[in-house]
Amino acid sequence: MNRRIGKLALAFFALYVVLFAQLNLIQVGRKSTLDDDTRNTRQTVKNFNDPRGDIVTSDGVVIATSIASEPGDDFDWQRTYPEGDTYTSVTGYFTFAYGATGVEKVENDVLAGRTAAQQISGIGALFSGRDVTGDVEVTIDSRIQEVAKTALAGREGTVVVLEPATGAVKAMYSWPTYETNVVATHDADEAEAVFGYLDAAPGKPLLVNAYQERYMPGSTFKIITTATALDAGLVDDTTIWSEESEFLPPQTIDPIQNYGGKVCGGDLVEVFRRSCNTPFARMAIDLGPDAMVDAAERFGIGAKIPIDLPAPAASEFGDVDYFEQNLPLLGIGGFGQGNTTMVPLHMAMVAASVANGGVMMKPHVVAATFDQDGRVLRRTAPTAWRTPMSPATADRLTNLMVEVVNSGTASCCLRLSNGVQAAAKTGTAQLNMAGEPERSHAWIVAFAPAQAPRYAIVVMLKGTNAEISEGTGGTLAGPIASRVLDVALSR
Amino acid sequence: MSFVADRRRATELRLVIFAGLITAGAYTLASLGKNSVIPPRILPFLAVLLLVLVSAHIAVRLLAPGADSTLLPVAALLNGLGYVMIARLSERLAGLQTTWTFVGVIAFTATLIVVRRVNDLARFKWSFFVVGAGLLLLPMVPGLGFSSGGARIWVNIGPVNFQPGEFAKIALALFFAAYLAESRELIRNGTWRVGRFLLPEPRDLLPLLGAWGFSVVLMVGQKDLGSSLLFFTLFIVMVWIATEKAAFMSIGLGLFALSATTAYFVFDHVQTRVSIWLDPWQSYRGRGYQIAQSMFALGSGGVGGTGLGLGDPTRIPEAKNDFIFAAIGEELGLFGASALLIAFLLIIGAGLRTAIRAKRDFAKLLAIGLTTIVGMQAFIIIGGVIRVVPLTGITLPFVSYGGSSLVANYVLLALLLRISDNTAKRLGEAPDQMSAVERFEAARARRRIARSGVTE
Repeated sequence: MNRRIGKLALAFFALYVVLFAQLNLIQVGRKSTLDDDTRNTRQTVKNFNDPRGDIVTSDGVVIATSIASEPGDDFDWQRTYPEGDTYTSVTGYFTFAYGATGVEKVENDVLAGRTAAQQISGIGALFSGRDVTGDVEVTIDSRIQEVAKTALAGREGTVVVLEPATGAVKAMYSWPTYETNVVATHDADEAEAVFGYLDAAPGKPLLVNAYQERYMPGSTFKIITTATALDAGLVDDTTIWSEESEFLPPQTIDPIQNYGGKVCGGDLVEVFRRSCNTPFARMAIDLGPDAMVDAAERFGIGAKIPIDLPAPAASEFGDVDYFEQNLPLLGIGGFGQGNTTMVPLHMAMVAASVANGGVMMKPHVVAATFDQDGRVLRRTAPTAWRTPMSPATADRLTNLMVEVVNSGTASCCLRLSNGVQAAAKTGTAQLNMAGEPERSHAWIVAFAPAQAPRYAIVVMLKGTNAEISEGTGGTLAGPIASRVLDVALSR
Repeated sequence: MSFVADRRRATELRLVIFAGLITAGAYTLASLGKNSVIPPRILPFLAVLLLVLVSAHIAVRLLAPGADSTLLPVAALLNGLGYVMIARLSERLAGLQTTWTFVGVIAFTATLIVVRRVNDLARFKWSFFVVGAGLLLLPMVPGLGFSSGGARIWVNIGPVNFQPGEFAKIALALFFAAYLAESRELIRNGTWRVGRFLLPEPRDLLPLLGAWGFSVVLMVGQKDLGSSLLFFTLFIVMVWIATEKAAFMSIGLGLFALSATTAYFVFDHVQTRVSIWLDPWQSYRGRGYQIAQSMFALGSGGVGGTGLGLGDPTRIPEAKNDFIFAAIGEELGLFGASALLIAFLLIIGAGLRTAIRAKRDFAKLLAIGLTTIVGMQAFIIIGGVIRVVPLTGITLPFVSYGGSSLVANYVLLALLLRISDNTAKRLGEAPDQMSAVERFEAARARRRIARSGVTE
């Protein structure tokens, strides 16, 4: 029997060699494939358990921080947002199962202390036992952000305040939004329920409508059409549009009408402050598809908003071929109706570029990042994005927008405290087809003070209910802009 | 006069202490890795650990002085590493595992006390058959047996739950060894002429086939595929070695192929196991999850491992039990996992060496059977965890959490040591003198005789 036992030993040895070979295959050969598998949460858990720095506003309010978890929690740290949902549009969330978004996502490496600079300077921390984490300072001003939230008062829409000269976002609030602390729960079942609810909720609360969605801009778009016409030399101070209630563009039998079918005409100041439609339809058609599409591109339409936040949307106007076949739609697009859609933040950038002598800055929310010792890792330098108009045109547009505030569609509602002069353009984007119940987005873009602009603002109220549809951009969005600008200018 | 046995025991003592120190070191590292603290009770822990290990060693020294010197230390190392991993996964289970280790060592000692000459056991072969079969039937008894994890292999008696299958495998190995030792010549040299062939008399073969068929069918009925496979292998290996006929191996493998194929087409759960084995990723969110997590764990361990307490083995379902090998592979890496494989190879080597040295057929076959049980059980579960074979739930001997498994394996270990000690006595490597127990009983008998006044 002993010879057989020898064979049995060999057989066992062979079996265990197979085990050893397979072990090598898995632990060495396939290691990187397994580690990189998206379903492998091991690395995520490790990252999620790292300590994490704070996010603070430009005036020092902590809007995201990590605290020690309660005993029995699966993870060591609980991310909390002391200001509730006020800064959700900026910070985003940091969750285990659903990843991160907002500043939490784009500055993840800094917050977790994983940038190369932090790793090198953090070698000493290995011995002292200190955590290597970084902090992020955002450009948001807490007072402006809070008033933006209060003024919007739970209506669907958004308020964005920019610094025209730098592109710094001083406030960005969108509704509907969500309570970040609820989303950040470590309870997997609760998180699933919350995300399931938010994902299906009307108004898409998980998207920040200020920069991740686009809406028909209405008459605010006339800034773009006017800038293009002025730069092209198509119109000047002497141009007069005859009084008319409608205009029949080529290729159609369906005339373009003024808002409410009113008779409207005069020079540029007049048609701009009263926001007639037909002159801008004529301008767009006279400029032609090439020039208009070209201008849209100069304004950054069609490109993703270059903001330092995840997944920004791109505004849309249309292409040349399309407008060649549809000149009436080019005319309608000239006053921001039809297929034109703008990201709200983008409209604020348009107003800001008028305020900034025709230069459109890249918007940003991250002011600076710091390592664990408070040393600056990176400070965001203001960067120009586009130059959509000449300084002279910007100047003329400023005057036009001042007239809108003084005697035009915004005269109802944009008188600022201390006699500060604002410049603005309103928009009422009609969403319903003829014969349907009225439904429109209410817009205003503005900047102030008009002659030395410090802040540009966009207020957009989604046309989801009758209240909004009854008013115009001036009467609905104007008071919000006025309230926010007053607080901003008092800073 | 110095015996080989003395050197063996000295070696064993050193190795056992070494295994204890490795365990205590690993325990400290796991605690440092997990909670960044040196376990506050590390010295008492080490003291108790060494006490248990040295007690087992002393038991061998007193009761089986000539026994093999590597089996106990290797088993202790496996038990210790398993304990460290269980403690790292769940402190509550660690407490229970400690209790089971105590019980295991007591059972180990008790076996050495009760079984003096292994060949005496051959007489009880039918008892072992009845006990083995009875144990296997127990989980089917209503009110007593229950299912857990899909297999009805558990029995609940009072406060104790146990898996009778773990003990049944020893009983059946004893039965097979005894029966084959007795009838191997009859089975080998068939006397039943069928055409040109000489086949064994059905009378000789029947009990064997009956015992085997009964256990396998029962296992399948309980959906305990791992144990079915183990019994199948045990049976084939023992018959093959006892008869020294490759034909039996071929017939066995043929039978295996046949029943495996049948099981595949008849039982859904067999099909599921096979499809998970072929592609666990396809059913990642379902039944493939466990294997996928095992792959992730092993991958994240890499060559050197994440370090004890620094990995994330709690993500693997049943990491304390069937999947403890994946948890060890994660935290100790390819090095640690290979060390485990080598430890099992050492047990197999020592077991088969014991078989070769044994003289009587029964002892030889029993050593083969017991070694095959440990070697195959480890192969089946490790192979299942790392996707060499379809996964069938079964414990990793000495390493997995669980009382039945630990106690049964310590009994198995004691039997192997007993066989090897008997051989050593026969070869004169150990003094063929009465053991401590025998001396005690002899003294008692003398006293009784003296009291009763009976004279020779």
